[in-house]
Amino acid sequence: MMQFRLEKRREPSKVMLYATPVAAVVLTMIVGAIIFSAIGYDGVGAVREIFLTPLTNAFKWQDLGVKAAPLIIVGVGLSIAYRANVWNIGAEGQYIMGGLAATWVALATHGMGGWWTLPVMMLAGVAGGAAYAAIPALLRTRLNVNEILTSLMLTYASVQLIYYLVRAPWKDPMGMGFPQTRRFASEALLPNILPGTIVHAGVPIAVIVALVAWFIMSRSVFGYQMRVVGAAPHAARYGGFSENKTIWLALLVSGALAGLAGMLEVAGPFQRMVPGFPTNYGFTAIIVAFLGRLNPLGVIFAGIVMAITFVGGEVAQTTIGLSSSATGVFQAMMLFFLLAGDILVRYRLKRVAPQGEARA
Amino acid sequence: MPNRLELSGITKQFPGVLANDQVSFAVKPGEIHALLGENGAGKSTLVKMIYGIMAPDAGEIRWNGVPVVVPNPKAARKLGIGMVFQHFSLFEALTVLENIALGMDAKIPSRELEQRIRAVMQTYGLLLDPHRTVATLSVGERQRIEIVRALLLDPQLLIMDEPTSVLTPQEVDQLFTVLRKLAAEGCSILYISHKLHEIKALCDTATILRGGKLVDTCDPKQETSRSMAEKMIGTGLKDIIKPEGRTFGEPKLVVNRLRTKKTGHFDVPVDGVTFTVHAGEILGIAGVAGNGQNALLDALSGEIRGEERDAITIDGLGIGLMDTTERRRHGLCAVPEERNGHAAVGDFSLADNSVLTARDRLGMVVLGLINSGAARTYTGKVIADFAVKALGPASTAGSLSGGNLQKYIMGREILQKPSVLVVSQPTWGVDAGAAAAIHQALVDLAAAGSAIVVISQDLDELRALSDTLAVINMGQLSAARPVSAFSVDEIGLLMGGVHGTEAAA
Repeated sequence: MMQFRLEKRREPSKVMLYATPVAAVVLTMIVGAIIFSAIGYDGVGAVREIFLTPLTNAFKWQDLGVKAAPLIIVGVGLSIAYRANVWNIGAEGQYIMGGLAATWVALATHGMGGWWTLPVMMLAGVAGGAAYAAIPALLRTRLNVNEILTSLMLTYASVQLIYYLVRAPWKDPMGMGFPQTRRFASEALLPNILPGTIVHAGVPIAVIVALVAWFIMSRSVFGYQMRVVGAAPHAARYGGFSENKTIWLALLVSGALAGLAGMLEVAGPFQRMVPGFPTNYGFTAIIVAFLGRLNPLGVIFAGIVMAITFVGGEVAQTTIGLSSSATGVFQAMMLFFLLAGDILVRYRLKRVAPQGEARA
Repeated sequence: MPNRLELSGITKQFPGVLANDQVSFAVKPGEIHALLGENGAGKSTLVKMIYGIMAPDAGEIRWNGVPVVVPNPKAARKLGIGMVFQHFSLFEALTVLENIALGMDAKIPSRELEQRIRAVMQTYGLLLDPHRTVATLSVGERQRIEIVRALLLDPQLLIMDEPTSVLTPQEVDQLFTVLRKLAAEGCSILYISHKLHEIKALCDTATILRGGKLVDTCDPKQETSRSMAEKMIGTGLKDIIKPEGRTFGEPKLVVNRLRTKKTGHFDVPVDGVTFTVHAGEILGIAGVAGNGQNALLDALSGEIRGEERDAITIDGLGIGLMDTTERRRHGLCAVPEERNGHAAVGDFSLADNSVLTARDRLGMVVLGLINSGAARTYTGKVIADFAVKALGPASTAGSLSGGNLQKYIMGREILQKPSVLVVSQPTWGVDAGAAAAIHQALVDLAAAGSAIVVISQDLDELRALSDTLAVINMGQLSAARPVSAFSVDEIGLLMGGVHGTEAAA
């Protein structure tokens, strides 16, 4: 019987490290085409609609920007935390809490807002997301509770909080019984930056956030701290970086950015808080962070690729009759191929001789 | 009579390194044969192929005259090859008997096994109670378990990999007695070491490897330690130039009743450690591994935060409560034992590794931003001054060999001109040429007025390097005395502490 073993490469190739995401996308397209053909759809057509139509059809470009913006903002935050080996899986919850905090400001100042309303909402969104991420940080640093579990479970609690708020205290009195808040006043809505489109101020903000994060991560002591704690915690301690402080910073920063994305979504496309506000941006951003090589600049491109699958998925629903879950299948395949590719960049597959007795 | 083991043309290629290149030599029955070479010379690779852990790419192994293929260690044991590794594989919570039973290929009833163990122990004077738990045993006693385990299989060849690196001088003598007795009974021994005086005392033949190639097979009794060392490194050996009759300055580093808490199950804390190092002085701290050296280094560097301000003072200033960054600002630099992952980050470039410890002392940070140009310049200086074999400041630390990484790390700290430098195992795994360079740099730093603490398990190194010497045992430090006032026996007894007397009884 043939046996294989993974052997660590001496120095992983830099080229391969950046080629893997591209290869993952290509493999996803090929395998996706095969799978959907096998179950009786037009597989090649599905891949074309999902990956190409959003790019070739200029009407879809504004959708791409609007979908990519929250993914990029949340993905940038996660890429910072993951660099430090802090596994915040609950960005969805922090995104929701940011959206709720911003909603609270919008409702409380309804009818008496001004130019300051949006900045205050933004601060509230950032604070809401950071505060929610502080819970896993506190549990991890004080009681050594794994942040993966706590941040994930807190997401489900935050979803229930939306349901409660939009059904009782924040329910729109003129909403004819619909569980949703009233539409925000115009001072509490994000301005459109391109007239005649749906592109709102959140799109340029996302790009600015990524650029600033890239600069900080590559040039500052803060970025160095995140990277060194993630790469070698023992060496980080030797270099004078506290592990607990790093966990706090990583969770607060990623929570704050998720909260900011929540605020931009509620004040942008949604214009009010509804039970359908959680759209899994927080979870999809995990794929975005990895696809972007945990590098804020890479996250911009990864965010756009993910947005393509969302927009293309909707196209394929109408043109080919593909189920909406197909988008999820494509996204999951992309993460799978990416992680598998990463292993092969760091390790080589080696054939080993089968075990046996001594031959004299 | 055929040779017990004969290697001809053994070759093993790893990515980027030819670990063994056409190595051929023979071990006679009953011979104690030394395999000598620096770290990275290919000794371990060679014995791993003999013991079946790796397969050679080319070449032939003959066992008692018959060509064999050894696919795995089990097959090697079946042939009659036993091996005692440098790192033991023992379960701390189990007894001696249980540990041996777990390592046996064949299932033997425990009563019968115990009888056989007692017989082997009796024959070779390896006295040990089979019912004691391993956790209560000293390192020397643990090694005896591994030897007994190998001897139970009646080996015709016993491979010992660096067996004395963890032993006190007295334990080394006991081990040699056992090995000589085994050899007298016809068992061949392949003895891997780089300690030349041991090889002169013990071995009949020495095979010297350098860079994967066999350079000489000689009779160690006819050679001097120096001539063998020069064959090993391939060039002439440099001596440490140490100005005679140096005088020390004011007390620089004063440690007063320093203690740490026990953090993990296997952590050995320090208690009541007191010593003084003057400007210009090198204090050596000897001791068998695992006697609190790690805790001492972490407590001095600041990785373990202290509870008393004045437990550690530099020039009279209490720094006991400060963290590593603050201590570095006050002139205390440290180098821990573990290089990759502790003293350096393998995935980072050397320039980024310089930022790790030199950022504050050398002004590499301005307004929270890293001045990467300054980091590159300083790293380039370290590479040049310490002859680090690296492509440049952008090479990752992980791509350097162990010895070169150690040179870089030592250089990174020494060129910061710390007023106090604490280093652990400064030349562990470093070739003799590089070790001499590191030693000279430490002596020069002391001559310039710094106080230096060297924690090491290598007595030769400490005796050559230190002005004063103290011994650590079970977390307690002996009084420091001038190094010339110690005899080797005395150091050995202090290293053994309570355990040593127990083992000798």
